[in-house]
Amino acid sequence: MPLFALVTKEWKLLLRDWHALLLLFAMPAVFILVMSLALQNKFAEQQGVNIHYYLVNKDGSPASEALVKRLSAIKDFKILSSDASASELIDQVRDDRAQFMVRIPPGFGKAMQNTEPLPVQMLAGPGVEPAMYMLFEAALRAALVRVYLQYALAPLKTQVSDITSAGHTGLNLDATDKLLHAQSLYQVDGRSRRPSSVQQNVPAWLVFAMFFIAIPLSTTWVQERQQGTYARLRSMGLSAKDLLLGKLLPYLGINLLQVGLMLVVGILVVPWFGGQRLTLGHAPLALTLMALALSFASVAYALLIANLVSTGEQATIFTGVANLLMAAVGGIMVPRFLMPPVMQTLSQFSPMAWGLEGFLDVFLRQGGLEAVAPQALRLFGFGLACLALAGLRLAKQRGKA
Amino acid sequence: MIQIEGLSFRYPGAKHDVIRELSLRIRQGSLFGLLGPNGSGKTTLISILTGLLPLLSGKISIDGKTLPGQLQDIQAGSALVPQEYAFYPRLSIMENLLFFGGVLAIPAYELRGRLTAALAVAGLESFESVRAEHLSGGLKRRLNLAIGLLNRPQLLFLDEPTVGIDPQSRHFILEAVKRINARGTTVVYTTHYMEEAEMLCDEIGVLDDGRLLACGTQEQLLNNTHSRELMVTLTTAPTVQQSGILNTIPGLEIINRELRMAHCTEADLKHLMKLLAAERLDICRLKYGYRNLEELFLQMTGRQLRN
Repeated sequence: MPLFALVTKEWKLLLRDWHALLLLFAMPAVFILVMSLALQNKFAEQQGVNIHYYLVNKDGSPASEALVKRLSAIKDFKILSSDASASELIDQVRDDRAQFMVRIPPGFGKAMQNTEPLPVQMLAGPGVEPAMYMLFEAALRAALVRVYLQYALAPLKTQVSDITSAGHTGLNLDATDKLLHAQSLYQVDGRSRRPSSVQQNVPAWLVFAMFFIAIPLSTTWVQERQQGTYARLRSMGLSAKDLLLGKLLPYLGINLLQVGLMLVVGILVVPWFGGQRLTLGHAPLALTLMALALSFASVAYALLIANLVSTGEQATIFTGVANLLMAAVGGIMVPRFLMPPVMQTLSQFSPMAWGLEGFLDVFLRQGGLEAVAPQALRLFGFGLACLALAGLRLAKQRGKA
Repeated sequence: MIQIEGLSFRYPGAKHDVIRELSLRIRQGSLFGLLGPNGSGKTTLISILTGLLPLLSGKISIDGKTLPGQLQDIQAGSALVPQEYAFYPRLSIMENLLFFGGVLAIPAYELRGRLTAALAVAGLESFESVRAEHLSGGLKRRLNLAIGLLNRPQLLFLDEPTVGIDPQSRHFILEAVKRINARGTTVVYTTHYMEEAEMLCDEIGVLDDGRLLACGTQEQLLNNTHSRELMVTLTTAPTVQQSGILNTIPGLEIINRELRMAHCTEADLKHLMKLLAAERLDICRLKYGYRNLEELFLQMTGRQLRN
């Protein structure tokens, strides 16, 4: 009976608080939408990587022409045309108005026949990210190797054809395209697909948003403590367990609604704005288990914060900073595989990392209940530990009322 | 009956006790006024009695039930009306009462009756659907009181229940408290308003720095001082010669037209009247009698400002 009254009261209070409703529902929905669309623009496979560069060809040989042709054929890289001098183009790159400049020196084709070829010059702007640098460099090297094989080794072609069987040259350069078969293990309806950025990023930002429930929960808790309502409730015989459950249950429901809403945004709203549709995978039970485990962990964590802070301002600042730290360590902001080994080890202790891995199991790896069980167990354990600490803190506060 | 023996309390990390070796009896059915300056330990004492703070040393029994072992039984029969507006502003009066009724696990068949009674005592019948955030200060105080009546307490703790409200609302609350007490509920009432204590309380305890300085009925407290004060204002100031004559009464102070005696017996008064008549000194104003509670309070607790 007291628990029913506490839960009902919480729902009524929330329904009458537009600010809290906005924070709890509108903000995460907008957040997922914006993040999905922003990241889509950066990584989406159909729109290209969007690298712009200047290509200056000072050599008129067939080899340099072949290199220009090869580079022009790469869809993700766009060549900028300009009549400016080389030094002006370098200034443009230095100011990050173009990411790269590639300069083919005079005599490039001729020197290819020699033992010491003339190198092509690649200049990168200061704002170019390391991953982008490596990507461009690799593409340029690949094009150069193809041209080198074609022109530097051309004289060998005749000699080799003399010692091989008739009609078989042994130097079919077009065959190099067939040396690699690339395929993603992500599947939709049993067929291999490259996962969209929405599919890869929504789980991360979903986990991030869910932990922000700590702000409205802890500020409400602080208000009730300051208003003397908790003193009254405790004088009526309510235990710490009643008080914690009275908040845990309604906010658990709210957190699950948030998950549902954010998934709906990924499935329905993101495509309306031109983004790619989120697919939920094939394990609804595993998804439900993960949602429950993460909700429990985030609400219990919120209750612990609520019992650690004294004012609403403290709750807001503490939650913001702690969530950002957890997100940074947990692979929400930087993928875990990009982190140095020490950080990767550290990230194993972030609840956000457990949530993220569990959701990625469902969304990307076709994992079922077995796959997500370890992450779900960790989250439930973390939630129970937070609840126990919150209970201890609440009991201790009785000595300071 | 509340019986407290040798109660001491210190907050964690504090250097001094907030309550020091306090012993007190409050009889059943009494309307007991607990007076004391800020920081004297009133709210701490009430918090211990209601189970909000733990009993660290000393003994407390309430109607034969002891703390901390029988806290639940004690809480079931008592209610606290805190100093703050301890309810939910976004809920209406009725929703607040229903919520606290639910927390108290009042059976459904009794709930309606209890709500009606609480609303009637607090005079809130015509406001039951108004959200608490839209109520005036006086109505908020009355809602605070009404919530405290839901479990029909035998013992009611009221912690400064009339702070910050207009005289009409204060009068209403004081009358309501009198009626509640008249039905047999023991009331422990803390206040800074001495006239409230004078008007309401049959017994009073004065607390300062965690110690009980005095306890008893108003008459006992005022008589214990053995002092009736005299203050006379004359129409004209006495001459030097007349002052010399008046000063033959021990303890009489003369300041311009004012004559004062902190301890004045009836014989002293009669003697002074004769001298004034003989010297043809006319009286403009005269005040004689026991000190009031406020004077007594200030005398006991000192006049220095408190934190």
